[in-house]
Amino acid sequence: MDQYQKHIRNFSIIAHIDHGKSTLADRLLETTGLVARRDMKEQFLDNMDIERERGITIKLQTTRLRYRSRDGEEYIFNLIDTPGHVDFTYEVSRSLAACEGAVLVVDATQGVEAQTLANVYLALDENLEIVPVINKIDLASADPDAAKAEIEEVIGIDASEAPLISAKEGINIEEVLESVIRTVPAPEGDPEGKLKALIFDSYYDNYRGVVIYARVFDGVVKAGDQIRMMNTKKKYEVTEVGVFAPGLTPVEQLRAGEVGYISASIKQVADARVGDTITLDNAPTETALHGYKKLQSMVYCGIYPSEGEKYENVRDALEKLQVNDAAFVFEPETSTALGFGFRCGFLGLLHMEIIVERLEREFNLGIVTTSPSVIYKVVMNDGSELMIQNPSNLPQLTQISHIEEPLVKADIMIPKEYVGSIMEICQERRGVMTHMEYITESRVALHYEMPLNEVIYDFFDALKSKTKGYGSLDYELIRYEKSNLVKLDILLNKDLVDAFSMIVHESKAYNRGRFVCEKLKDIIPMHQFEVPIQAAIGQKVIARETVRALRKDVIAKCYGGDISRKKKLLEKQKEGKKRMRQFGSVEVPQEAFTAVLKYDENK
Amino acid sequence: MKPLGLYIHIPFCKKKCNYCDFLSRADVKKEDQTAYVEALLVELKYYADRNMLLDSVYIGGGTPSLLEGDLILRIMEGVTGSFALSEEAEITIEANPGLLDRDKLMAYRRAGINRLSLGAQSLNDELLHFMGRIHSSNTFIDNFHLARDCGFENISADLIFAVPGQTIELWIDSLKKTISLGPEHISFYSLQIEAGTPFYGLWEKGAMKAVDDETDRRMYHEALEWLKNKGYGHYEISNAAKPGYESRHNLKYWSMDQYLGIGLGSHYYINGTRFSNETDLEEYIHISERVTGEGVCDKIFVSLWHPSPWAVWHHRNTEEDEISEFLFTGLRKIDGVSLSVFEERFGKPITAVYENSIMKHSKAGLLELNWKEDRLRLTAKGLDLFNQVLVDFV
Repeated sequence: MDQYQKHIRNFSIIAHIDHGKSTLADRLLETTGLVARRDMKEQFLDNMDIERERGITIKLQTTRLRYRSRDGEEYIFNLIDTPGHVDFTYEVSRSLAACEGAVLVVDATQGVEAQTLANVYLALDENLEIVPVINKIDLASADPDAAKAEIEEVIGIDASEAPLISAKEGINIEEVLESVIRTVPAPEGDPEGKLKALIFDSYYDNYRGVVIYARVFDGVVKAGDQIRMMNTKKKYEVTEVGVFAPGLTPVEQLRAGEVGYISASIKQVADARVGDTITLDNAPTETALHGYKKLQSMVYCGIYPSEGEKYENVRDALEKLQVNDAAFVFEPETSTALGFGFRCGFLGLLHMEIIVERLEREFNLGIVTTSPSVIYKVVMNDGSELMIQNPSNLPQLTQISHIEEPLVKADIMIPKEYVGSIMEICQERRGVMTHMEYITESRVALHYEMPLNEVIYDFFDALKSKTKGYGSLDYELIRYEKSNLVKLDILLNKDLVDAFSMIVHESKAYNRGRFVCEKLKDIIPMHQFEVPIQAAIGQKVIARETVRALRKDVIAKCYGGDISRKKKLLEKQKEGKKRMRQFGSVEVPQEAFTAVLKYDENK
Repeated sequence: MKPLGLYIHIPFCKKKCNYCDFLSRADVKKEDQTAYVEALLVELKYYADRNMLLDSVYIGGGTPSLLEGDLILRIMEGVTGSFALSEEAEITIEANPGLLDRDKLMAYRRAGINRLSLGAQSLNDELLHFMGRIHSSNTFIDNFHLARDCGFENISADLIFAVPGQTIELWIDSLKKTISLGPEHISFYSLQIEAGTPFYGLWEKGAMKAVDDETDRRMYHEALEWLKNKGYGHYEISNAAKPGYESRHNLKYWSMDQYLGIGLGSHYYINGTRFSNETDLEEYIHISERVTGEGVCDKIFVSLWHPSPWAVWHHRNTEEDEISEFLFTGLRKIDGVSLSVFEERFGKPITAVYENSIMKHSKAGLLELNWKEDRLRLTAKGLDLFNQVLVDFV
């Protein structure tokens, strides 16, 4: 081991949403004097507004800390923060691969959650040392001993020495740093060897182009080097290397064991893919680092400009988002109901929600989104296969041999009192339980195989709602399976509205059809004629509701003083009409598209 | 200049009704009512112009009949002192049954008032009580006869239908009893549950259910049948009259003719501009006192199309406003608007402005465009869906 490596510690923090990861990261920054308390916004490392609002980390923020230990030596910590949601498992695994250890934050009031456990397993897969930390000890309901016992029981690591901290109150933060120095090994690797660096994140910067977050395993990289991405095969000249201090701070070189950034005038993040290995073009390493995967969209939906919004504005915004998000894909598509728009692919439902929300809030766009869909494998009579993610593209049933749908392995953790109701909602969603285990006396893990289209519909909302927020979920794709799927269409006044079409399991079609009809009945305003709302499979109508005809819409009294006031009422009515979408003769408010997707406990 | 209409607002009631959101107060002492009338007289004097001809005066409220007869006399003296009143002028006062007696009615006659608008609302005592009215159906009938006795030959009765709890039979019963008295004019309003009223509170809590639209429309159309059969001409969405007794004053609102408004919160429309007055009673009176002190009323010329000291809002209508308001008000009349008058007034045919909307609503059976009769009017169905049509004209 080289001398400089002895004083480096590369680590991540693993925690469940709300268990205090970001707050702890903030305190570490503060303790090492990097950010003065008065300059800190809450949760410094989560720098996107939406993330801060939801209290979850999506985009990684990595930072370098200097800390003088009680042994008198100065250490450099590279804190590699990870995203905290089920949609970003791959990114988490690559971040972990850049580390030698992980701090596991467990909430002393809640114990270990499914998400945490999944990430701990990822960390163990990468041979990381785990440093357990018990957080929120300041709360009256904290039970640190139970939390320790749970860690030992569930994860099988010694938690007796785990620091008891309160990130919020700043209690025992130094203990965490000392524990990291003791437990997490210093990085190894040969600075004289051939360059081998892992890309674990990247983002687009207006001045530098793509900024790559990298961990160097062997060799050295510096400005002027010709680098090569071993998987995408692209070549670039390095313009700058540096460290996160926490802002981008250029350095002369990055050596084996170090974590930092590399910029090389790269135009979009898709060219510097997470998990790829960087090497020198003229002296390449022979083997790439293991674990590279190309990100695959699992969930698709249509995004359309709403009434009065420009197509070009939406396109520009999608392009801007894509520059920074290799997992997000889109292409133009046309809907007879909604006109010109885009088909967009996401890692999962949260990823989709985040993109939609950013379009609305950061870009101030008015958009309409259609029902999310997974990718179905359609096997035709002649044996050929089609991958379909837009229900409208489903071929004629007579040409189809069968359809296959993606299945996921879903790991659900819940307090035991909810087992009954969660098994019920899993069963309703066609889940098949593979096994169930008591993690502790009061906590249960349920393992299911479940169709992804059930998970993306409303499963997460249902789980949260039925467990008062205590349930957690982790899922990953396992295989495609033949399934009895049908295309459910919605007709308004006898006209098919393609934007409402969805592919569902036959056993669910009746309930879904009725649910959508009922929702639309409440949302679609009365017209001068009766509006039938029908759900149909092919020619067969399986559910029907009717919006009654408007019988009366008249201002009864109008005299001198009323004219201006009543005219304003009409102008308001007119504004409301403008925000509607016209489908044939029927006007539909935009919120109809989201309302038919919302989980409703009573339905 | 065409003769002007004049509206005078009396913002006082003995008690606020449960459905009413008009500008009116129930707790005002006699001396403050007198102070208000003094302030009104200042505003009247401010506009004084003996060359200005009025052919309608309307004293509305609130409840003008709450005031003593001599105060009404003073107001009318103020009117005749400031303006020229045409011999044929229609002069109306709104009156609530239960607040009328022979002395008041005779005072109105002496003041030159020739039309009485009686707020009957219903002839069912339970409903009257529920609506928070102070009178019974017998009081209305007695007051009606008394008014006839005092020489009123032009009486209008206001009725409200679609009141929660009212059946179609109950409604038609009230209407028939009213018709049997033989008023020259009947107004019939579908109850609107307005925000801020006790009714609204009940409705919001779910303690009161609004009459459903189907029943409401059956009440309306059955009433139209009865009125027609008894010789009343339906001339505006909520108004019917024996021939020649259509309200001249109210027709000004629906024909975009000019009218001046006096008093608290009154609205007026002069020379293409809409105005509205101060709505705070103390402030209104204060303005009159200030105007008196400054001698503003002694000015030789006060321009009608500049905001007066009492005006708190005015809006000069654009051509677009004028056109849309012309239709918004004019289509309330059963005979609609004249195509040639439109073209004369705005210098272009109506189809040049609203061709698509007219086509759309004609096709839907809500509008009728009749070149031969020179009219654009709502159909019977259009009367029920007035807003649906007008949304495209505003």
